Amino acid sequence: MVKVLQSTIIEAPVEAVWGVIRDFNGHDRWHPAVASSSIERRRSSDEVGCVRRFRLGDGSELREQLLTLSDLEQTFSYCLLDTPVPLLNYVAHVRLAPVTDGNLTFWEWESRFDTPDGMQDSLAAMVRDDIYLAGFNAIRSHMGLEA
Amino acid sequence: MARIYVSSVIGAPASRVWERVRDFNGLPRWHPRIRDSRIEDALPADKIGCVRHFHLQNGELVRERLLGLSDYDLFCTYSILESPMPLTDYVATLRLTPITDGERCFIEWSAEFECEPDQEGDLVSGISGGVFQAGFDALKRHFGG
Repeated sequence: MVKVLQSTIIEAPVEAVWGVIRDFNGHDRWHPAVASSSIERRRSSDEVGCVRRFRLGDGSELREQLLTLSDLEQTFSYCLLDTPVPLLNYVAHVRLAPVTDGNLTFWEWESRFDTPDGMQDSLAAMVRDDIYLAGFNAIRSHMGLEA
Repeated sequence: MARIYVSSVIGAPASRVWERVRDFNGLPRWHPRIRDSRIEDALPADKIGCVRHFHLQNGELVRERLLGLSDYDLFCTYSILESPMPLTDYVATLRLTPITDGERCFIEWSAEFECEPDQEGDLVSGISGGVFQAGFDALKRHFGG
């Protein structure tokens, strides 16, 4: 089991950051890894259990299922159903929290997954750098903040 | 049920800040509101269930019981047994979380308690500002913010 955890501070109020990332079907609007996104079976993107289908920049596709969504805790979690890379049993959690003395947002993004021997380090680095860290920076530029 | 939540960013790794706040008997060393502290019955300060017996700078006595302590998740939970404040069923948690992209950490201090409705506003502002944020400000002065 591989674990990846990344966290940062975003220079914006938590309501504003949550307003962008809450939409399970909206990651194609800000994340550079995602070319397009759609929800299967015409379900709403805040319906727990819905499945999003991503097309990546190289044309490959993956499917992810929304497992939890909380507007109270400002968290969501999801798992991978189909993926072009061997990320098995992949479950990820996203959590936002307000920094009350600075009008900032704490953002934590973590996951656990299995992968074949010999690929742990390279896939952990890919998830960390290309998904999570790239996502943090993409939100900053999407919201007009300094990277 | 009244609730308080205060959070901040401290300019040092979580492990270093945890060293400073972990000691349940260590408030006088880092919190400016606390004059002195001891653990009752000569128990170790990290024994769950121990009671800290401390005085504020104005001489008022507070007694609190350690309910939970985690060196893995970096949190400390405690309840008030005795204090000059008109509240009951007070449980608070101080928690640190690493921020992986820099030499800093996220700190959260939250509490829940019962009180008379007309006293809730004063209690919430007094505890959140005078105790929790005052503690964060002291940590920021020590470590950078």
